[in-house]
Amino acid sequence: MSTLTLFLLASLLLLGIGLAGLVTRRTLVGMLISVELMLNGAGLAIVAAAKCTPASDVHGQLAALFVMGLAAAEATLVLAMILVVQRRFGKVTLDEVSVIRADGKPAGH
Amino acid sequence: MDQAIEKLLASLWSPFDALEALIAGWLPGQQVAAIAAFAFYVLVLLAGGLMAVGCRNLVRAMLGLVLTFLGVAGMYLLLASPFLAFMQLLIYVGAVCVLIFFAIMLTKNTGEGEESKLPSPATAVYGILAGLLPLLVLGPLVIAGADRLPQVAYGQTDTRLLGEGLITRDVVGFELISIILLVAMAGAVFLAWRKPGKNKNESEAD
Repeated sequence: MSTLTLFLLASLLLLGIGLAGLVTRRTLVGMLISVELMLNGAGLAIVAAAKCTPASDVHGQLAALFVMGLAAAEATLVLAMILVVQRRFGKVTLDEVSVIRADGKPAGH
Repeated sequence: MDQAIEKLLASLWSPFDALEALIAGWLPGQQVAAIAAFAFYVLVLLAGGLMAVGCRNLVRAMLGLVLTFLGVAGMYLLLASPFLAFMQLLIYVGAVCVLIFFAIMLTKNTGEGEESKLPSPATAVYGILAGLLPLLVLGPLVIAGADRLPQVAYGQTDTRLLGEGLITRDVVGFELISIILLVAMAGAVFLAWRKPGKNKNESEAD
């Protein structure tokens, strides 16, 4: 096992924890937290792969910065979506927003 | 494939070989420090991640997320990328966490909301399976495959090279992320915009 393997396993750990959270969380906010965990794992894997192999490490770090920017943009948009869902349904649980209808009312209401 | 399994088993039985390999290329005096730092950061990652996923209180979950961000920043330091570690703290802890905190507070999801209930047993099983699947599928691949790549000992990256890359060779990526951030910001304003003169009930009715 090499340095690269250890760092990749650490990022894999983040991916696994994030996926588990994504499945078990009930609300959109909890899922946002899990997605951020997975994005961190991705950044770590990119930087480790660029650093430990002969690939250009400047490019690897720029790619990780790109991931960070995307994560910031994604968090902004998800916050706006959460606001809209909260305003419309009163809750941000997934069970609540799993119905798409023209009148916007969940089934059974 | 047999070889890969053999390698996996061997790595399970000799974790100290792995740690020794971790610091190959470092000065001997720094070996112990590198081992200790890596183990410490992995523990921080694990504790923060479990807290972020397991805590029923979303504010605590966010604090676990901060802990994970700090652990990843430490990993970047171990990878001799201090600029990325700094950006990790600035962007994730400084900006993304504040956004998440706003989301928690605006949805009043702090203590006794939906998230305070435990997930149903079926959901918990699915969650554990979803977490284990990448570990079981990708883990052996990483252990068997990463060693086949040519590896180099690394030094610290000059931050000046990153800046030069951003304004010369990789300017497309730089402009692209600028546009993405601008569009995301405009989209967020558009989505959350409530027309003046309309009260809450009307906007819910339409």
